[in-house]
Amino acid sequence: MTVMAPYRSTVEPEARDGFGRLLLAEWTKLRTVPRWMLTLLASVVLMVLVALLSAAGSESTGQGGGSSDPARLQKIDLGHYTYQPLAGDGEIIARVTAQRGGGAWAKAGLMIRGSVERATPYAALMVTPGHGVRLQTGYENGGAGGGTAKAPRWLKLTRSGTAVTGYESPDGRAWQRVGSVRLDKLPENAMAGMFVAVPDEVEVQRQFGGESVSGNPADTGARFDQVSVSPAQPGAAWRDRGAPGGPAADPGVDGRTGSDGTFTLKGTGDIGPNEFADDSTKTTLTGVLIGQAAIVALAVLMVTAEYRRGMLRTTLAASPRRGRLLAAKAIVAGLAALAAGLVASFGSMLLAAPMQRSNGLEPPPLMDGTVLRAVLGTAALLAVIAVFSVAVAVIVRRSAPAITIVLLLLLVPQIIATGLPLSVARWLDRLTPAAGFAIQETVTRFDQAIVPWAGFGVLCAYALAALAAAYWLLRRRDA
Amino acid sequence: MEATIEVRALRKTYGPTVAVDDLSFTVAPGQVTGFVGPNGAGKSTTMRMIMGLDRPDGGSALIGGKPYRSLRAPLCRIGAMLDASAVHPARRARDHLRWLAQANGLPARRVDEVIDLAGLASAAGRRAGGFSLGMRQRLGIAAALLGDPPVLMFDEPVNGLDPEGITWIRALLRSLAAEGRAVLMSSHLMSELEGGADHLVVIGRGRLIADTAVGELLKAASGDRVELRTAQRQDAMAVLARAGATVSASGPDEVTVAGLTAERVIAALNGAGVGFTGISEHRATLEEAYMELTRDAVEFQGVAGREAR
Repeated sequence: MTVMAPYRSTVEPEARDGFGRLLLAEWTKLRTVPRWMLTLLASVVLMVLVALLSAAGSESTGQGGGSSDPARLQKIDLGHYTYQPLAGDGEIIARVTAQRGGGAWAKAGLMIRGSVERATPYAALMVTPGHGVRLQTGYENGGAGGGTAKAPRWLKLTRSGTAVTGYESPDGRAWQRVGSVRLDKLPENAMAGMFVAVPDEVEVQRQFGGESVSGNPADTGARFDQVSVSPAQPGAAWRDRGAPGGPAADPGVDGRTGSDGTFTLKGTGDIGPNEFADDSTKTTLTGVLIGQAAIVALAVLMVTAEYRRGMLRTTLAASPRRGRLLAAKAIVAGLAALAAGLVASFGSMLLAAPMQRSNGLEPPPLMDGTVLRAVLGTAALLAVIAVFSVAVAVIVRRSAPAITIVLLLLLVPQIIATGLPLSVARWLDRLTPAAGFAIQETVTRFDQAIVPWAGFGVLCAYALAALAAAYWLLRRRDA
Repeated sequence: MEATIEVRALRKTYGPTVAVDDLSFTVAPGQVTGFVGPNGAGKSTTMRMIMGLDRPDGGSALIGGKPYRSLRAPLCRIGAMLDASAVHPARRARDHLRWLAQANGLPARRVDEVIDLAGLASAAGRRAGGFSLGMRQRLGIAAALLGDPPVLMFDEPVNGLDPEGITWIRALLRSLAAEGRAVLMSSHLMSELEGGADHLVVIGRGRLIADTAVGELLKAASGDRVELRTAQRQDAMAVLARAGATVSASGPDEVTVAGLTAERVIAALNGAGVGFTGISEHRATLEEAYMELTRDAVEFQGVAGREAR
């Protein structure tokens, strides 16, 4: 046998063991299969198309004032408010002598606020037929206080700097503190007055495939006497802020009457959170439900196409360390989905805006933090879905089952949730990967199952768990 | 780093089936080693374990002293073609080589170099799905050569090729070995290795049957026999038997002589005045040698097959 010098490779790898070169290789693989790039494009087109369809199909339906700022949409600021100026620190006292109509949460009482502009900060002390005396602020339900007190009741609201404190009394002498709230930026010259408000009667019907919400505006009324504002401003007249106009401004349901220090206020609509606000951002981005199918298919095929053709052996021969390979595949799939998602979600918002305007709707403001979270979150959502798909594909190794599993996990909870009781549906939306879609929500609705970031976190947790399982299997299994 | 493949006591089972059983051999640099065995003998399984793709149940396989999974830029250590059709059909040949080069940080010029080396220049821009088997083999060989590695491994590289392709691959492997590389090439047909391999590793049912140089194997199989043609058969047999040979009649005027070289046979016959019309040294073919080697293994397989049923 001839003995000769062993051959030495004349090629020296450029980068020493960099992870970047694996990413580059996986990107080249993705880029060089034309139908994969078409799939990516299809996901963008589908999402934008759905946005345009939904924009074309939705029209303004009156109430709401046309604003689409999610923070504004979340607030209902209606009812009837009769007020005087309040200069600097001071207080307002009144007795609610009777309350009529509107149910357990009908509100009658006192309110201090800096402006009568809708949806501006306020502090309201109220008596209710079913929930006692309450001090509310920030367009939230509940509030400090409680008990079982009903009208007639004495109420006192004092302002000291930015602090507003509420007191109640059965007789106008022995006062009991209800609570205190801070109204930042409350101007020196504020308003103090009486208000009535009442939540709409809302009926929600849920069935498989959707829900219908029907609301009937309720109306309420209350009588006040012993009204005093101090420091008193000589010659200050009572002014009114009623319904914003239209058919609701019927003097039978909205207005003020009275004389000799007695006031009767009538009003309709609530001051508080709007739990039935239209989430126009989410509606515009709803195409993700269809666009994700293309992303899932692409991410799964990036893995299963290699298993099917034995190409995975070539891949593992070129990069024998399983963990790095899996990470590279997941990152490239995720980044590709993120890029497609960014184009699709910004494209949806920008292209749908002119159609929404021509239908009398104000498009959601892109620069609003909540809207931006939904828009960027949609892209991030697709990225995580892609990572999840890669992991499931490694576990399952075959295209059809992998795609089916991922899509079922993402879609089925959302479909069957509508047919289940709300309490069960909530848990379904919290515990399944479908929770990730919460990132698209810009308003907090009555049926919110999970807050946006937490929902996104649930999906991320699923993706990480699947990745861990995929890594373990990839290391153990014969290729 | 040494240009070798070392297989040490390698073992792989699939359930109750033993695919590779205590297999040890070394692929040395500077020659083409043929890896031969019938279908199902465990050749591909062994190669996958060498590549770190399948986990051995025992033993180890080392490339230049290291297990495959610990190699950092493996394409520069060992190039392999396990399955020529393992290419995405929608990807262009050049792109297939490009991502492989990127994955190991190899310079982009290597892609063009191996395309030329494998004679793929005219097809590099075409999608691999439209390739003939021969072109796919060339693409697989190009991929194996990307990192200019000192060790090369090919699983059935000539299977299904036309004679021209077989000649090309044989010449290529020879020239690669002549540069000092270790080349391992598997085949289930010994005839494919005839004139192509310098060394043979023969396995059957996962076990090593022979690990030998081709020349020695042929010599052993040929067994120093001489074929003699003569009209005086009886006389010739008597003379040669006296000269110390083992003789047997293999036809009406033919004699097979063992234990004497052709020269000594001629000298003995001339000395005794026995005439002959023809004499030839018997040379076994590689195929015959292989059949002889694997006969036991194949029989054993038959028995085992019946038992399994």
